[in-house]
Amino acid sequence: MSVIIKHQEKIASPEIIQSRYEDLGYICSHSVATAIYLACHLQKPILIEGPPGVGKTELAKVTATYLNAPLIRMQCYEGLDESKALYEWKYGKQLLYTQVLKEQLGDVLRGARGLDESIARLHDFGDIFYSQDFLEPRPLLQALQSQEGAVLLIDEIDKADQEFEAFLLELLSDYQVSIPEIGTIKAVSTPIVMLTSNNTRELGDALKRRCLHLYIPFPDAALESRILATQVEGLDEQLREQIVALISKLRDMPLKKSPAVSETIDWARALLLLNVEELDPHWVKNTLNLLLKFQDDIELVEPEIKALLKGLR
Amino acid sequence: MRFVADFIGALRAAGLPVSPAESLDALKAIKLLGLDSRETCKSVLALTLVKRQVDQEVYEELFDLYFASVERAKDAEKVLDKEADKDAPSEMSLKVQNDQTDAADNNSSPQSLDSSEANKSDAAQANASSALGQDLSQDKDMSLAITQAAAAEKLSSIVLFTQKNYFAYKIMQRLGDDALSTEIRTVGNSLERKNSLERKNSPERKNSLEQKDSPELIKTLRKLIKARARLLDQVKDYVEQQYMIYAQHKGLKYREEYLQQAKLSQLDQLDFKLMQRLVQRAARKLASQHSRRRLTRKRGQLDVRKTIAANAAFDGALFHTRWKATRIERPKIVAICDVSGSVSAVARFLLLFLYSLQDVMPKVRSFVFASDMIEVTELFKQEGIELALEEIMKRWGGLSTNYARALEDFQSQALASIDKNTTVIMLGDARNNQGDGRADIWEKVFRKSKRVLWLNPEHRNSWDTGDSIMSEYSPWCGSVEPCRNLKDIERFFSRLLKHS
Repeated sequence: MSVIIKHQEKIASPEIIQSRYEDLGYICSHSVATAIYLACHLQKPILIEGPPGVGKTELAKVTATYLNAPLIRMQCYEGLDESKALYEWKYGKQLLYTQVLKEQLGDVLRGARGLDESIARLHDFGDIFYSQDFLEPRPLLQALQSQEGAVLLIDEIDKADQEFEAFLLELLSDYQVSIPEIGTIKAVSTPIVMLTSNNTRELGDALKRRCLHLYIPFPDAALESRILATQVEGLDEQLREQIVALISKLRDMPLKKSPAVSETIDWARALLLLNVEELDPHWVKNTLNLLLKFQDDIELVEPEIKALLKGLR
Repeated sequence: MRFVADFIGALRAAGLPVSPAESLDALKAIKLLGLDSRETCKSVLALTLVKRQVDQEVYEELFDLYFASVERAKDAEKVLDKEADKDAPSEMSLKVQNDQTDAADNNSSPQSLDSSEANKSDAAQANASSALGQDLSQDKDMSLAITQAAAAEKLSSIVLFTQKNYFAYKIMQRLGDDALSTEIRTVGNSLERKNSLERKNSPERKNSLEQKDSPELIKTLRKLIKARARLLDQVKDYVEQQYMIYAQHKGLKYREEYLQQAKLSQLDQLDFKLMQRLVQRAARKLASQHSRRRLTRKRGQLDVRKTIAANAAFDGALFHTRWKATRIERPKIVAICDVSGSVSAVARFLLLFLYSLQDVMPKVRSFVFASDMIEVTELFKQEGIELALEEIMKRWGGLSTNYARALEDFQSQALASIDKNTTVIMLGDARNNQGDGRADIWEKVFRKSKRVLWLNPEHRNSWDTGDSIMSEYSPWCGSVEPCRNLKDIERFFSRLLKHS
């Protein structure tokens, strides 16, 4: 039975999803919840785009936890091919099989007269060299074969080659894959598929057409404040507001990499550890490397710290 | 459902590639979640229909426009429904009244409403005979009627702003404006006639009934004229709004099509921004077409040693193959652009195109010249292509050309670095202001490089006329081509990528 049918009541409306995800510590906007809802009901993959660190991968993890489904994750990279993503033959076992076969061959062919009859007997002999027994399932096949249904996360699809993207199309639209030696393998129960992309390259239209397209931007101040409240316990409310305000200002600056939510959380945790009660230039300067990952960015922000903090009060 | 279908039409008109499969998804999703909440509706349609980030902005703008108009139509429907409801219970109440006398008190208010309405409509019937006139004199909300009329006239096919008045006129007609105007005219005429009769005839013969009727008639006439003007305004507003939804972006599409054909040297300053977007889009298309081919070439020869090592586990049977990576011999491109006078506009887009292709293009070095030649590769890297182009055009544009000087500079700066892997692209009109062309340097470039391509922004017919010395250089070029509009540039690069 698929996860979708099993948990009908959990995905009855976007509002339920939104509030339950919140209980699990994932604060999401209404459109994210709507996307999850539609993905479950229309049985369509979601393509999630957005700047790094806004919780794209996290969304898949939370979904898996929420639906009690195994999370099968496939990290994409350049040069990823079907033998790593879909299936591989168990070469070693296949070799052993041929060895065993060699020994059995005498028995099979015993008493056969002439070449024709030998070949006919060979044909009758069941060939399991290419069969399910020797198939080593990789993430995509695992997701299709999972009895209970699974959450399949195809992470950073933009890092994979274009050929691989084309290869995914059959899986995404029909939840099946074709293995030339065996045939078509259909999903036992439909998995929930999520793809993430950091937009390092434009994905193909064919892929996009088959997916719901969810863009997660940086959260607005209110949402980010709520995220901080759940993720960093014991953070003073006033300090929290200050952090959120400062971060949103930093995002308006022309930085190489704007601080994302994950960096905000790290920073807030660090400030909590350091017992900082109020943002002051000294502390901000010393902890800036948690927020900004490029030296150029740090050099750009450092002289502005005082001005930035002044604006907060 | 029609709402969604129409909206998809509007999106397509704005240039979003919405496929039928996606439209079906959107309809299914809407069926699940309904159209009631604007926020939900917006995110549902964005999820199913908008697949490119660049389209997001257009989508949001259109959605807000469209939803506003739909909501207005819905409100109108609601008002109508309410009126119908109002009618229904009052009729009922009459029946009830007949049956049960004691219920009369409870139902007195709907009854009075009914009677007042009946009075009103009686009065209206007496005053205005055309259907539209009746509607107007009752102050009915016309927006639903306008929407329907607009749909019947296929307003969504509007393309140009000049069509706005035409559509407004058509909608008015469909609403029954003809009858109304005729009525206004006839009533007006009869009043005039009456007035003139009154003036002529003695007061004794004045009909008492007419005397009572005339001011009433004038009042109605005034009311009708005013209401008609108001309706016309409303229709015009509606057409304007629909034009924004359907045609604003269609117009852009026409403009873009025109720009692709337009002569680059005669572009309006205003069109530069739009043109830059077009260039980038075309470059992206080419890049995605050609990045694929490049990948397949990466694999080199079989690496025997590594293959044997990798397959030791399989008893020496060779299952996995290991390949030597090809040593990538990066071909180089040297682009030389004349940025003087009329060539500068073309140079600008050629360079923009060249740099938008960076992902799939081999290493590019670029030089610009009017009389002196300088290398601008670094400048492009530091400033970003667009800013750097502005600067170059400001500094060099409009100077007169000196090919001899430029080629001598090129010889000293870059000739040594040109080798058998270099493709040289020259953009220039070969108008040398009567000087010596120094074609001998160009010959050296030709002999040292892999290929020499010359793009000329002038038409073939004007080569070698006046001070153009194209024929001095053309023997030392692999090919010489005219390059007058964006289509030419695109075709040129497409061919270049195929052979590199």
